[in-house]
Amino acid sequence: MAQVPEVYVLGGYQTDFARNWSKEKKHFVAMMREAVLGALDETQIEPSEIEVAHTGNFAGELYSKQGHLGAFFLEIDPAFSGLPTARHEAACASGSIALMAASAEIEAHRYDLACVVGVEQMKSVGPGEGGDFLGTAAWYELEAKDIEFPFPKLFGKLGDEYDKRYGIKDEHLAEISTINYANAKLNPNAQTRTWYMNYDHAMSRDEFNGTIGGRIHISDCSQVTDGAAALLVASPEYAKKWADRVGVPFESIPRIKGWGHNTARIRFDDKIAESANSEYILPHVRSTVTSAQKRAGIADTSGIDAIETHDCFTTSEYMAIDHFGLTAPGESWKAIEEGVIAFDGSTPINPSGGLIGAGHPVGATGVRQVLDCHKQVSGKAGDYQVEGAKNVQTLNIGGSGTTSVSFILGT
Amino acid sequence: MLSSTTTAASGKSSDLLSSRSIKHVVILGANGAMGLGSGALFTTVVPRVTFLARTKEKADGGLAAAVKMVRSSTVASRVDTGSYDADFDRVVAEADLIFEAVTEQLPLKQEFFDRIDKVRRPDSIVATVTSGLSINQLAEGRSDSFRKHFLGLHFFNPPNVIVGTELIAGKDTDPKLVDFLDAFCTKRLGRAMVRTADTAGFAGNRVGFKLLNECAILAEEHGPLLIDELVGPYTGRALTPLATIDLVGWDIHRAIVDNIYELAPDEAHETLKLPGFMADLMAKGVLGSKTGGGFFGQDDAGGRIVLDPKTQNYVAKSSLSRPDLGFIEEISNLHRVGRYVDGMRAFAAATGPYAAIAQKVIAGYISYSFHRVGEVTDDISGIDRIMGYGFNWAPPSVLVDTIGLKPTIQMIDKAGLSVPPALANAQEGTTFFDDPQVNVGKFFVAA
Repeated sequence: MAQVPEVYVLGGYQTDFARNWSKEKKHFVAMMREAVLGALDETQIEPSEIEVAHTGNFAGELYSKQGHLGAFFLEIDPAFSGLPTARHEAACASGSIALMAASAEIEAHRYDLACVVGVEQMKSVGPGEGGDFLGTAAWYELEAKDIEFPFPKLFGKLGDEYDKRYGIKDEHLAEISTINYANAKLNPNAQTRTWYMNYDHAMSRDEFNGTIGGRIHISDCSQVTDGAAALLVASPEYAKKWADRVGVPFESIPRIKGWGHNTARIRFDDKIAESANSEYILPHVRSTVTSAQKRAGIADTSGIDAIETHDCFTTSEYMAIDHFGLTAPGESWKAIEEGVIAFDGSTPINPSGGLIGAGHPVGATGVRQVLDCHKQVSGKAGDYQVEGAKNVQTLNIGGSGTTSVSFILGT
Repeated sequence: MLSSTTTAASGKSSDLLSSRSIKHVVILGANGAMGLGSGALFTTVVPRVTFLARTKEKADGGLAAAVKMVRSSTVASRVDTGSYDADFDRVVAEADLIFEAVTEQLPLKQEFFDRIDKVRRPDSIVATVTSGLSINQLAEGRSDSFRKHFLGLHFFNPPNVIVGTELIAGKDTDPKLVDFLDAFCTKRLGRAMVRTADTAGFAGNRVGFKLLNECAILAEEHGPLLIDELVGPYTGRALTPLATIDLVGWDIHRAIVDNIYELAPDEAHETLKLPGFMADLMAKGVLGSKTGGGFFGQDDAGGRIVLDPKTQNYVAKSSLSRPDLGFIEEISNLHRVGRYVDGMRAFAAATGPYAAIAQKVIAGYISYSFHRVGEVTDDISGIDRIMGYGFNWAPPSVLVDTIGLKPTIQMIDKAGLSVPPALANAQEGTTFFDDPQVNVGKFFVAA
């Protein structure tokens, strides 16, 4: 097989996920614009240098009654006139899929510099309607139609499956929530950075932390978020020239060392039926994690210094812990009790606060995760910097464990 | 001169934080909005917070409101309640930090400080949440130890949402204590701290209420509806100025501007004089939203009504005609798609009598802010921080950067105001706003 060029991540930008862009009376293009111009400013790159743009977005048609989001890239700057663009959708993994497309094009020598922007404006509708829209990431007709908040219920079922096979305790889910909220307090772009949260609250069951579906309570959920994140990704040739220009050593530029990408059947019950004889509840997710590590030449998660995972609910992070191999299958609770995943643990999970703490603008999440990896491995994560992070891995999941994508960033 | 405008050096913050510990906070005035809100905030990091009020029932009420405010019953597990009569001496003697949030009256606060001085431990901190009374004046007559451990810690309402906080040292406050509290509030409570001088209204209210009062004055001639539209969200704020005064309360507004007018005569002195119609209406019981209306209200049928300051009567909003304000629409449309620079340049370039009113207020805000540097904060970034994090208004430096230096200077000049030296002497291309953690676009709300 011919040698494919490595894909370098030069930098990026995310909007403050605490903002409510509907209250600001903004169109989502304003969000795209701030993210992309912020990324260009951060990397000292001129708009005219971008050769291709990929937009990750889940449901612009529903939240904003607008499709064709790739084309909106041209509204950002006149220099983008004529630029090839595309929009990518894979539910909550849309942002990662946009980056997959951009990196594939660089690997194919088509382009030397691509911009990836993930965007979602979700506060344009109320929680009930928004919950229904999110249901289209499942098999809507079979799993979401006429169901209030279908996704918390699906991820509640993930917890139920753990309970059935291995046992699961609310205390451990509450600890996951507490850690994400606490990490978010260190992140100046996190949606919940000023919110009130502690372990006792996550364990409380009164009116302020009611159930949303089965074992999933308010504190177990990620947020409804408006936000965008952008990345600039480049070929080695461009990255070398860029390094000279901005005065950084080429070796210090983070690159995508490995990726994994799998899809499981869309219906949750079909996934569970398929994994009946597997030690992993979502074996395709496990495969995504390990294939990224294999491509990066990293034997297992002990070679990963921190993880940005898809904690759309505490049960998804609970699942991620054993699927990353931090414990044997079904023993995620051990990594929680032993402090492995804590901010100062041996493999911190979501130093950014994750989807629960930092927020979850669906189409932007995968891009935001990779941006946070970039910040970690280049020592730019500020108060949420994991000391000495060299290799950081993402796990981004669309649907109920349906489309999973993982990237490893390192230098 | 102030020691530093910005936060304590972060490199030293861990040393600073370990220099003392805060395990018990006593809140005085825990039934008021600031007391209970601050109390709830302290419970996030302090294991024991005591809510005190005139009666235990009132303190309990404060706790119940705090629980509702942050939407968590767990607040109660860290809070005990009591009354000034039964519990004051005992709990104040135990406290590491005594946080005073009683009614904003100098003699009343002094009475509390006198009591605190008699029973507090010599090493405990005493902080006041006053929004404008002089820290030095409040400390007058107190013991050396009290004055050394006393400072202003001005949270903004509601403290669980608004992170901008002013820290005001008195002339005798121990500088190490100021550094400690700065680091504690920044690192533990997630506050955006601004150190200000002990001047009337400190930094935020001095600059903010100057703009608000100027709008109240302009409302007399032009009507509240037009002024709120002219100095509306598109000029860099979430809430319009006169609606803000209604929300804050006319009595609070008056206390703040009267205090500044009396103690800080400056180049904009007349814009800080409470308009006569407001004083007249206050005498009749009008205090803004809390009394059912101020500049804006509702009639018995729920229809929106607007004050006519000339007649001091209310008229139906629907009966008021609106002049052509096409420039606002144009700017809002630019903000809506994220073209804030184009929007604010169009603002500075807009012509006509209405644009001139808006430009004069915004030019006045910028000019007034830059003229306060050296008086209320060491540099403009302190004023920027409190206007951004405390008021949620576009900070003056953000406006200069967005409008452009030259058009800003021209706008100030055209308004007949004095151009601050920091702007007059700056090179074209200078950027003034220096906080990369702030998304400046958030301030420019499409109308």
